[in-house]
Amino acid sequence: MNAIYDVVIIGGGMSGMMAAITLAEKGKKVAVISKGDPVCCFSTGCIDVLADGDDPLEGIGSLPDNHPYHLVGENAIAHSLELFKNIMFEGGMPYVGDAHINRKVLTSLGRCKITCLVPETMEFSDCDPDEYIHVISFYKMKDFYPQYITSRYPNAGYSVFDPGVITTPGIAEKFENKTFLEEFISWLGGLDIPEGKIALPAVLGRSLAGKVYHEISAGCGRKVFEIPTLPPSMPGLRLFGGLKKALLRRGVNLYWGRGIYSVEKLGNRIEAVTLDSAGRTTRVEGKAFILATGSFISGGLYASMDTVNETVFDLPAFLPGARETWFNDDFFASGHEIEKAGIRVDPSFRSVDAEIENLYVCGSILAFSEVMKYRCGHGMAIATGVAAANACGGLV
Amino acid sequence: MIRTDVIIVGGGSTGCGIARDLALRGIPHCLIEKGDFAAGATGACHGLLHSGGRYVVNDPEAAAECIAENRILRKIGRKCVEQTGGLFVRLPGDSKRFRDLFLKGCEEIGIATEELSPSRALDLVPKLNPSLEEAIRVPDCSIDPFRLCMLNITSSQKRGGQILTHHRVIEIIREHGRCVGVKAREEATSEVKEIRGKIIINATGAWGDQVARLAGGSVPITLSKGSLVVTNHRITNMVINRLRPSSDGDIVVPNEAVCLAGTTSMTVTDPDRIGVDPAEVDIIATQVQQMLPDFGTTRLIRTYAGVRGLLKADGENGRAISRGFRIIDHQDGLFTIMGGKLTTYRLMAEKMTDSVMAVFGLKTKCRTAELPLEGQEELSGYPLSSRLKTLEGIVCECELVTADTVERVAGQIGTRHIGDIQHRTRLGMGPCQGGFCTYRALGIMQEMGKMTPEDSMRVLGEFLQRRFKGIKPALWGDQLREEQLVEYIYLGILNMEQEQ
Repeated sequence: MNAIYDVVIIGGGMSGMMAAITLAEKGKKVAVISKGDPVCCFSTGCIDVLADGDDPLEGIGSLPDNHPYHLVGENAIAHSLELFKNIMFEGGMPYVGDAHINRKVLTSLGRCKITCLVPETMEFSDCDPDEYIHVISFYKMKDFYPQYITSRYPNAGYSVFDPGVITTPGIAEKFENKTFLEEFISWLGGLDIPEGKIALPAVLGRSLAGKVYHEISAGCGRKVFEIPTLPPSMPGLRLFGGLKKALLRRGVNLYWGRGIYSVEKLGNRIEAVTLDSAGRTTRVEGKAFILATGSFISGGLYASMDTVNETVFDLPAFLPGARETWFNDDFFASGHEIEKAGIRVDPSFRSVDAEIENLYVCGSILAFSEVMKYRCGHGMAIATGVAAANACGGLV
Repeated sequence: MIRTDVIIVGGGSTGCGIARDLALRGIPHCLIEKGDFAAGATGACHGLLHSGGRYVVNDPEAAAECIAENRILRKIGRKCVEQTGGLFVRLPGDSKRFRDLFLKGCEEIGIATEELSPSRALDLVPKLNPSLEEAIRVPDCSIDPFRLCMLNITSSQKRGGQILTHHRVIEIIREHGRCVGVKAREEATSEVKEIRGKIIINATGAWGDQVARLAGGSVPITLSKGSLVVTNHRITNMVINRLRPSSDGDIVVPNEAVCLAGTTSMTVTDPDRIGVDPAEVDIIATQVQQMLPDFGTTRLIRTYAGVRGLLKADGENGRAISRGFRIIDHQDGLFTIMGGKLTTYRLMAEKMTDSVMAVFGLKTKCRTAELPLEGQEELSGYPLSSRLKTLEGIVCECELVTADTVERVAGQIGTRHIGDIQHRTRLGMGPCQGGFCTYRALGIMQEMGKMTPEDSMRVLGEFLQRRFKGIKPALWGDQLREEQLVEYIYLGILNMEQEQ
């Protein structure tokens, strides 16, 4: 089997999907190849841009010179975040927030997470200690313990509902059932709780959260918000589902659950890649390729005992030092040196260490992105995904 | 105030063994341990029930003790010993003369051996280096040190022994030139308790000198750190030893679902300030790879280190010092028992208890070698086969531990310590190393009222630091991926900054 595209994107995470949407909107013929569901499924669904100061975009100016955000620029970052919001709105999963304003989101440990754009189900999530918050937890739910929150917020209480299941996806599925939802709303209405907000772990449906959220809000007549949980995280899965649908609506071809089996190079160009499959192989040819396979978690980079490799094209990867320097002693000191590992690129998002003229790189595989240190994961993925797509879009 | 006859300081295998022996001979006693059972070298060892083969050439006396105790423990501790058998593997270049000395020594001491051809050895352990010259089979076994301690303690508790874990001895009370009791501080509450007894036994291993100094004494001790790594699955079902003089990284022991590989030997000065150096991991990995080539690509989930308190001998390095043990009578009511090994813990306890009986002028005989360890049936929820039977409400997916089990154990022992739950259930011992389940177990303990939410946050923070200390030296490959996920969960999703 042979298929020919303008641009072939390897990696179905945030940056790859945003690159695909950008190119499809320019009328390009696009394919996305992904080994599996991306790391954003594990995420809170919130779009962290930069957890520094009140205005994340302003904070970008003070990042180290080699941070990939600088290749995009403040205006282009703001535009790509706007594009993301439009896509999610169009898919019925609106995000709220302003690219220039950091906001706080309450976590399952009762801490505040600084982020920028949030799904509408978290619009009223903030960490105001003066306002009463009533936490709803679920009987024996294994990833949510309301006392972690109520102990830090003296002005908070909790009630427990028994949904009959204990896992996050299990409870989320129940909420998509009309009878269950009505029963829950009527139970909630019967509680005698002080004036204030209602907070629940993020279980309001696997994909239909908006509808469930609005019905509960209307039912109890209060502000309601979701608290992100450990993976499997429903807001993360919803985010992924929303973007995937946006790709399909734009006619992007998806090769899902497929790894790269071999790469064909001709001179300084990648000609095609061949995909793994049971039974037969698929050859996917492109005029340009975008590498968006992510960092270590998603498998774009692989660390052996003494070096770091890029796993698809074997591009030279920047290595921050010998193994004993990769990690700090302190688990909580974010900013381990190993986070700097990755592919170094020029302003057109092409590797500076390998001369391949039609291969562009975006997302957390970029060297010096340090997404945990700066808490800029999804923001950086969106911004560099769109930017890399724009850089290669002009050439094909 | 607690009054008793014998005070045992230290809840490692030796202390727990003494408690059992005293209990079976009807002597009232109180055991004080600053952490949980097996918190020192006992829980940080290989979990190897030696056949004695390891010491047969250089330390035949220790080897003879090992094989005798090996036979006893296989008989009395069926549920905490896995009779894996062991191989001593000779690789190209390893001395044939050493092999001859080894076989001769085994014969003299009575360690059963079977010489195996390379193909026979590969049948037994397919991942062995196929270029091996030969292998010698010995009755090495795998033993679970945590369970061993708890089973010994069961006998003590059944007969009224008082057990104080998480209590640190801060003072030895002396009157008229004799040691008559101790003051112990409970770690969680800082409450100080006074315990009075006629004899005090210092069974604190690497901390032996520190404790002896509380009574104005000292013990000649050399502290030798040994580091090990844990694989995420079994790469061998038999114990694998290198057939050569003892050296670094030449033993691999299967234990439950994993293998433990090590060790190294480095002299240290402070048993509380030890860690694993990445260079030690490299040494172990390089050496073990020679015996089991797949080890190089096997995922390592953790490293740990323990400190052996060896009998001091000037000018000798840690490897050369005898693994025999010694009882020191400080002549003032304090005894120190030191040296020895996990394998010989029962013998050490017997000799120590004999000394106590002599002081008391009593003649009751030791029965610890005949009677099976008590409580083995109740601990039968521990092996994987039993854990596989209930798959509902699992909170530790790696090791299949259910919420009910956590609640039951936390209720039974009334603990405030997450480590106590881990040692008794295997919670958090799998590939994610407690990354997911510790948060849950602490949440469950909050709901039970065992722990305040503030405490559980502190404990979670400390746990994550300790966990990271163990993981960091062997962090590459898939374990690095797992680690970045755990980091993302705690810092990115939960935003758990370190408590100041």
